[in-house]
Amino acid sequence: MLSYISRRLGVTFLILLGVSFTVYVIFAFLPFDPAALTCGKNCNDPGIIEANRRRLGYDLPFLTQYWVFIKGLFIGRTYGEGAALINCPAPSLGYSFQEHSCVTTLISEALPVTLSLAIGALVLWIVVGVGLGVLAARYRGKFVDSASTIFVLIGTSLPTFLTGLMLLVFVVIKWHILPFPAGNYTPFLEDPYEWAQILFLPWITLAFAYAALYTRFVRSAVIETSNEDYIRTARAKGLPESEVVGKHTLRAALAPIITMAGLDFAGLLGGAILTESVFNLPGLGRLAIGAVVEYDLPIIVATTILAAAIVVVMNLIVDILYAFIDPRVRIA
Amino acid sequence: MSNLKGKNGKLIAAAAVIALLVGGFVVRSGSGASEGGTITYLTHSEAWTHADPNRNYTGQHIAWFGSYMHRTLTAYARAEGSAGSAVVADLATDTGRASNGNKTWEFTLRDGSTFEDGSAITCEDIKYGVSRTFATDVITDGPTYAISMLDIPSAKDGSSVYKGPYSTKDNDTAAYDKAVTCSEDNKTITFNLKRAVGDFNYTVTYLSFSPVPKAKDTGDTYDLAPVSSGPYKIQKYKAKDDMVLVRNDKWSKKSDPIRNAYPDKIVVRFGLAEEVRDQLVLSDSEKNSMSLDGILPTNLPTVFNDKGDPQKAFAERALNVYDPYVRYAAFNVKKVPCLEIRRAVYFAKDAAGLLQLSGGAAFGGDPADGAIKPLMGLDYKKVKGLEDFKPAGNAAAAKALMEKAKTSCPTEYARATDPKRGLVFDSSDSDTNKKAAAIWIDSMMKNAGIVMKFNFIEPGSYYAVVLDATKQSDISAGGWAPDWANASTVIPELFTKEGGFPMSQNWDDAAYAAFKKKSDAALAEPDRKKQGQMWAELNQYVVDQMWIVPGIFSKTQEMWGSGLGGVFFWEPQGAPSFGDIYIK
Repeated sequence: MLSYISRRLGVTFLILLGVSFTVYVIFAFLPFDPAALTCGKNCNDPGIIEANRRRLGYDLPFLTQYWVFIKGLFIGRTYGEGAALINCPAPSLGYSFQEHSCVTTLISEALPVTLSLAIGALVLWIVVGVGLGVLAARYRGKFVDSASTIFVLIGTSLPTFLTGLMLLVFVVIKWHILPFPAGNYTPFLEDPYEWAQILFLPWITLAFAYAALYTRFVRSAVIETSNEDYIRTARAKGLPESEVVGKHTLRAALAPIITMAGLDFAGLLGGAILTESVFNLPGLGRLAIGAVVEYDLPIIVATTILAAAIVVVMNLIVDILYAFIDPRVRIA
Repeated sequence: MSNLKGKNGKLIAAAAVIALLVGGFVVRSGSGASEGGTITYLTHSEAWTHADPNRNYTGQHIAWFGSYMHRTLTAYARAEGSAGSAVVADLATDTGRASNGNKTWEFTLRDGSTFEDGSAITCEDIKYGVSRTFATDVITDGPTYAISMLDIPSAKDGSSVYKGPYSTKDNDTAAYDKAVTCSEDNKTITFNLKRAVGDFNYTVTYLSFSPVPKAKDTGDTYDLAPVSSGPYKIQKYKAKDDMVLVRNDKWSKKSDPIRNAYPDKIVVRFGLAEEVRDQLVLSDSEKNSMSLDGILPTNLPTVFNDKGDPQKAFAERALNVYDPYVRYAAFNVKKVPCLEIRRAVYFAKDAAGLLQLSGGAAFGGDPADGAIKPLMGLDYKKVKGLEDFKPAGNAAAAKALMEKAKTSCPTEYARATDPKRGLVFDSSDSDTNKKAAAIWIDSMMKNAGIVMKFNFIEPGSYYAVVLDATKQSDISAGGWAPDWANASTVIPELFTKEGGFPMSQNWDDAAYAAFKKKSDAALAEPDRKKQGQMWAELNQYVVDQMWIVPGIFSKTQEMWGSGLGGVFFWEPQGAPSFGDIYIK
């Protein structure tokens, strides 16, 4: 197992190197000049554009720029001189002149927000999606099944931004059921109540769409598993229905759900852009989309690498979990 | 020189009288004002573009930070209408003393002005603040008037030999020390300019002339935590989250007679979804809040009627006014040297269609007749020679001009009417601009037989492209607001080679030499009334030459919660006078 994990981690490192290089290549060939975006109304002065190009390091050859970036990860980077000297310690992902901050700092501030959002939403959608899916399968053709079908239909049809906007406008602004959040985000350790209050509606928004998908998926997986010979045998042996469903049916149906949840969770950590935007949460998604709009290369590279790293690591975790849940699967 | 001094003395006296009148106004408007509470500003923006005074450039940001945090040598009077364009003393004891033919300006600082840490604001702090604007590689985006006006030599590449306070190589600090000097008591600052600037006391209303304590300067990151010299200081500022200002207990009204400090706390909520931001104010669920952004077009009918007047429910909490901007399309005169074709484009344009796209007459504004807006008062005069203008385009006038062009400039005529070539219009890439392109293309072909093609440019790079003579196409969309209440920040900026925004590339035009001479004369003219006439004549000249196709004198809409009072539109900044807002 250990050698498998180390092999996978080695591959992960190479993938991340490839991703960062690809992002640099893409930027090198895009038809715009990042230095020309830094001077606003003064951009008619080529001297200012050139000075800014030097400061940002865009005057260096492409490969040198990339090498400086890789070096910064291990030894940190400095920018400017005198009172304007900026120091970004290792692991440095660069400095954003638009955000006036080291990118590592920006990422470390945004990641807990997205993590809080994703974990809360994951718990909600697993509980609701799996629960409703099992009930719908167990009572197939009855009221619960029909109700779950309507839930699935609405959940999959409504785009996340619309669900979020409607919740915010009606629940908070028009009906005053919940107060308008005092801030955009409060860390859990600082004030757990406010943390939950701010994230409550974003969790529901995000979980609503995913729970609908999982309900449908779990329902069909449970129905399919229920028709297996070993389930019939379990029932014939006289096992109580709760044990048949809980221990035998659900365990077999869970394996693909875990794979799906792992990848969905990884996707969300890369940035739940729409939910973060509607609810004004300063997470990774907002950071990434803002950087794309402003052509802020250091942030784009960092968020892309981070998103790729999360997907690769989550894949690894899912593979390991899979082996524990399904005894038939064994890692060579 | 004595004559100039005399005229300047009159100017100062006039300013003082206006200041007194304005002072009276402020007392009246503030009579119902009360102190306390929290005012919340709502915005879709993720953060302020800049909080560093040397990097503030837009009117709204200058109005906001100038009201709450940053003081400078002079400021605009806090008054409605044209009275707001009067310049009054701020950190200085008066509105400046000019000598040497308006090439030397002196300002003496008031007693008792301090930073938020209680340290006194000195001449050296202002000198240091101004020096930062020379570090254009660190202090980006800010106005560069100090660089273009101060008497500091240029290097071979045209840049200043002084590179700001951070640069350690090839930096001529002595040149800066000669151009900006402080008196022995550190209370009087003198600016030595390379040319006569009659309205330099307007130039120093810019926050780029604010004091910055050298010991607290952190270069680029000063933008996140600038030191306050005004009535409020930063308690918290986090992009994508919020900014919280609290009272600066070291600020004293005695040393700052022009600012008010009504609320106890000021909060700016960044990054709100546009619909959420509008709904919070529309539903009045946040009574003490004000939107810092324009209202979504879908919400305008809720707030205003068809004429653009506020609906009854919003009578006391919405404004629909002209902003300082003029929208236009600038001809690249080098590429389109034929005056007849330029004029044909103007008469063929479907101005009504384009205006409708901007919200119609009620919300978008009026068809413009030049580069100077009527809001400029002294500098504006209705432009003549456009009597044939028709809102939907005048096909007869346009076609007649094209007929003339056939013989006066056959090569350009052939290109403009050739389906494979035509005239190319630079436009920033957006859905609205694509709709505008359709209107331009259709009206040009229908009314003048001109083939118009569009070059859509990625928004972030737009000005870098169109301000580059080698990359600009035949026509480019533009918009401009005066930097202060004088067309000296419009005409030379837009139409002279040395200007900051010369999209017309008109300096090889035969009509340019006479224009430039008059523009220079107007810049040096100390008599403001006479100067205004000269700007109006130059504006007429610009339209006669059709260096730009006048577009729209645009409007802006503002709304706020019912709990706020004292809101009025501060004309010179094109934004509400934030410092006068209080909680009822």
